[in-house]
Amino acid sequence: MPELTYLQAISDGLREEMRADDSVFCLGEDIGAFGGAFKVTDGFIEEFGVDRVWDTPLAENAIIGTAVGAAVEGLRPVCEMQFADFISCGFDQLVNVAAKLHYRQGLSVPMTVRLPSGGGFSGGPFHSQNPEAWFLQAPGLKVVAPSSPGDAKGLMAAAIRDPNPVLFMEHKHLYRRSKGEVPEGRYETPLGEARLARAGEDLTVITYGAMVLTALEATEDLEGASIEVLDLRSLCPYDREAVLASVRKTSKVVLVQEATRSCGVAAEIAALIAEEAFEDLDGPVVRVTAPDVPIPFSPPLERAVLPQVEDVRDACRELLAY
Amino acid sequence: MPQMGVSVAEGTIVEWKKQPGDAVEADEPIVEISTDKVETEVPAPGGGRLKEVLVEAGETVDVGTVLATIEPAAVAVEAAAPAREAPVREERPAGGDGGAPERGDGRAPPVTPVVRRMAEEHDLDLSQIEGSGRRGRVTKRDVLAYLRERPDAAPEAPPAAEEAAPEPALHMESPYREEVPAEAAAPEPAAAAAPPSPGGRELSVMRKRIAEHMLRSLRTAAHCTTIVEADMGRIEAVRGRRSYLPFVARATIAALREHPSLNSTLEGELLTVHEEVHLGIAVSLGEEGLIVPVIRNAHELSHEGLATRIKDLAERARGKRLTPDEVVGGTFTITNPGAYGAVLATPIINQPQVAILDLEAVVKRPVVVTDADGRDSIAIRPMTYLCMSWDHRALDGALAAQFLSTLKRRIEDWQG
Repeated sequence: MPELTYLQAISDGLREEMRADDSVFCLGEDIGAFGGAFKVTDGFIEEFGVDRVWDTPLAENAIIGTAVGAAVEGLRPVCEMQFADFISCGFDQLVNVAAKLHYRQGLSVPMTVRLPSGGGFSGGPFHSQNPEAWFLQAPGLKVVAPSSPGDAKGLMAAAIRDPNPVLFMEHKHLYRRSKGEVPEGRYETPLGEARLARAGEDLTVITYGAMVLTALEATEDLEGASIEVLDLRSLCPYDREAVLASVRKTSKVVLVQEATRSCGVAAEIAALIAEEAFEDLDGPVVRVTAPDVPIPFSPPLERAVLPQVEDVRDACRELLAY
Repeated sequence: MPQMGVSVAEGTIVEWKKQPGDAVEADEPIVEISTDKVETEVPAPGGGRLKEVLVEAGETVDVGTVLATIEPAAVAVEAAAPAREAPVREERPAGGDGGAPERGDGRAPPVTPVVRRMAEEHDLDLSQIEGSGRRGRVTKRDVLAYLRERPDAAPEAPPAAEEAAPEPALHMESPYREEVPAEAAAPEPAAAAAPPSPGGRELSVMRKRIAEHMLRSLRTAAHCTTIVEADMGRIEAVRGRRSYLPFVARATIAALREHPSLNSTLEGELLTVHEEVHLGIAVSLGEEGLIVPVIRNAHELSHEGLATRIKDLAERARGKRLTPDEVVGGTFTITNPGAYGAVLATPIINQPQVAILDLEAVVKRPVVVTDADGRDSIAIRPMTYLCMSWDHRALDGALAAQFLSTLKRRIEDWQG
């Protein structure tokens, strides 16, 4: 199995689906001739031509709206938001149209929206956000956030093949930093299934995206404690059974997300645990998140805002000693 | 043993909050005691170090008995260490209340949900388990270790137990998933002190008091129960989200003023009819038991005043903050299990009173109503049964029925 970066794996997954299925096409800003701001679609226009790799105007509403129409007509569009932050411009088409068509008219909308998200590189407040929680409030949308190259490729395939609109959160910080073996050929990582990144017995860290790497590093050697790390992979639907099974095993939970604190994925899962696993808890459910502020540009300030390895270690130590 | 009220002659130690050698501050609770009226905490009369405990948990002594000695801080420096050798919690009565062990600061950290559940499932006394968590909290890990190591899990246990509870069952995966089969349950480790049956636990001090009091009442009074049905429509219309209880209490007080022979006490052959209404209200403390705080001179209170007093007494009863004098001297008692959906009951009289009113659930029923012109129709009305147990030694059925009819009228014609 070849070792690929996270970015190569996404690119690979997309390319394989386009090769296998003529109805799959890409559209977005600078994705064609330039190969994408992060080079995910580098070489695509040469291989698939301008009919299947569209350079669009800087108009997210138009990109998503066009994709909705194409999907309703039976194509499988994959839109790229140059930065996840810009999706707010396409919000109406996504939340009010794409998410609801199946419920209102029974139509499937097999489209994928790629969202390069996350901070950690001094991108400032407009290029560093983690907006996944916005879409958990829009029934009809699915949201995935892989952390490993293997999952990124498999979930890209699953997202494209799914009959519903799927938001694919790809963390920019992982692009060249997350490396791993990726199976060749086409395969699918099922939507809604978590991955046990590390089994443990004393405490569970539940997280997703780039924070999986942070959590693994933070808990690799924590004074001998046996720490389980659960990588959610899918945020909507998320793997309730895996979450509850892990809570029942360890009875202590730290939830880590890079996104801001209020009403996020961690809050939702904390609520699930409170409702379904209260009698299994041996301590409070703890969240490690960014505070409710925009991401600062200044490197030291950004480090202070985004959860760091040491923050996760502190939270785990605190809960272990509870 | 402090004088906890004029009527209290003796008290039982429930639990020491401090161990010999522990530092205590003035007014810090150091021991929980139970009198025949209430359970309460006794604050330290002064600061220093607890030198010696003279009355162990479970013992009953007269008011005025010295329970422990406290050494003032200045002289307490060296005496501490050897005194620690007799930890007080070993003397606690078996069964106890399942609470967490008490530690140095006198306040046990709360038990976590999973530990509470495991303790219930395995019938564990958590005070027997050494806590490794912060402030001595017993963690799940501690409970698992305890379960692995306790005597009945050891090899010398009877073969049946060994087969039924193999060692791997104690793995992290969920050792407490199912109950140990009854026949495999070996004797409790701490139960060497002679448990009557496996899994049995001694009644709490409060339950013993209740048992004694109830049996005495049944032996003493000639219990009889009369039931009258009342239409709660008027009260329903004005109460909003408030409880029925203060409304019925107020109507009861008025009815007692009309029929004072129900507002009396019978001791031996001496019947005392009271002018003042000192109204007892039964407050459930959940599984722990029941307590009946008394609203003195309840007839002098407005409806709002009565509601406030009931709420206050109930809250303080649940927080164990009643003083013994607040649970004596009642002349009539109301109990209110209807809040849990019961429709009929035959309560036991709170001695030496002569009657107790039981307020039952209000249920919508089809009833025949007669309008001003004498025409009948069937209507849906919020109805309840007013069940009153009374002492046939002190009065007769006609009087009980008259009283209940007055109460019914006052409820149905509620004027606010």
